[in-house]
Amino acid sequence: MGVTELEESSLLLDEKLLRFMDQLELLEEKRATLNTLIEQGWFSMSKARYSMGNKQVSALQYASEIEPLICVHARSLDTGKMDFCAERVSQKCSISGKDDRSIEDIGPQEEGVRKRIKSKKDVTKKETSEDASSEKAPEVPPVRKSDQNPQQDPLKWFGILVPQSLKQAQSSFKQVIDLSAEIATLQTAVLIARQDLMHSMKEKYTLQEKTSGAQLDKVAD
Amino acid sequence: MAGRGKLIAVIGDEDTCTGFLLGGIGELNKNRKPNFLVVEKDTSVTEIEETFKSFLARNDIGIILINQFIAEMIRHAIDAHMQSIPAVLEIPSKEHPYDASKDSILRRAKGMFSAEDFR
Repeated sequence: MGVTELEESSLLLDEKLLRFMDQLELLEEKRATLNTLIEQGWFSMSKARYSMGNKQVSALQYASEIEPLICVHARSLDTGKMDFCAERVSQKCSISGKDDRSIEDIGPQEEGVRKRIKSKKDVTKKETSEDASSEKAPEVPPVRKSDQNPQQDPLKWFGILVPQSLKQAQSSFKQVIDLSAEIATLQTAVLIARQDLMHSMKEKYTLQEKTSGAQLDKVAD
Repeated sequence: MAGRGKLIAVIGDEDTCTGFLLGGIGELNKNRKPNFLVVEKDTSVTEIEETFKSFLARNDIGIILINQFIAEMIRHAIDAHMQSIPAVLEIPSKEHPYDASKDSILRRAKGMFSAEDFR
C-alpha cells in the first residue's frame, strides 16, 4: 500500500517537474524574443536620432501631460497564478475624461474651407442657376478640432513629420509591452510551480521515511 | 482607475524610457507623479530605490520594468519583493545585455535544485 502511494507521489512529482521545465523553456524563449524586439527598437530609435538630431529624440521631448495608452489587466486564477493582459486604452475614454480639464480652444472650431455668408438676393439667384445643373457638390461633414487628440500619440512629441524609423521603434516597443505582460504571467506561474514542486517534494520525503520505517519494523519482527 | 486597469512602470536609461513611453505606457497623474524614472549618470542609488519602493506601494501599477544593470544596484530591494503584483521584469539595456543568471526570478527557480531544499 505504502509503495503504491510512494509511486503515485513520484509520478506526480515527475509530472510537475516536467511542467515546470516546460514553463522555464517557454519563459526563456519569450525572453529571447523580448530582447530581440528591444534591440530592434533601439536600433530604429538610433536611426531616427541620426536623421533628426541628437537632442530631438530624448527625454527633453516628453510632453507635459502624459496619459497612458496601454493598461494591464491583472486577474488571479484559482491556482494562485496571476494573469496579466495588456490592453490598449480606447481613445474615446481618454477624450471623455479629458473634457473637463481641457483648455478652451480659441479660433474656428471647424477645420477646412468655410463658406462665406451670402445675402438673400444672391442666394435666390444662385438657386435658379443650380437647379439647371443636375450635379451637386458632395457635402463634406466638417471636422471638429475637439474630435482629434493630437497629444495622445507619443510620436507627436517628437515632431509632426517624424521619420519612418521612429514609427518602427514605436511598433517594436508596443510589441515589447504586449510580450512583457505575457512574461509577467509566466514568471508568476514559474514561481507558483516552484512552490508547488517543493511542497510535493517534502511530502514525498516524509512518505519515503514512513515506508522505510515500516519496512524496518517488518524486518525486525 | 479600477475600471481602466493597471499601469506599467519603467526604471531605465533614457533610451529604454523613451522607447516604452513611445509605446504608450507613460502617465503623469494628478499629483504630477510619473510612472517612469530616467536613470542618468548622476542619479543616486537612493533615488532609484525610493522610486522602486514608491512604485511597489502604488496600487495602480501592475508591472515594473527595470534595466538589469539598475536592478543590480538595488538587488536587495528586488529580492525582498515577494508579491505577484506588481510583477518585476528585468530587461536589458543598450550597454548591458540581459544575463539570465542575474535575474531574480530565475535565480529563485534555480535555487530549487540546491541541496538546502532537500532538507
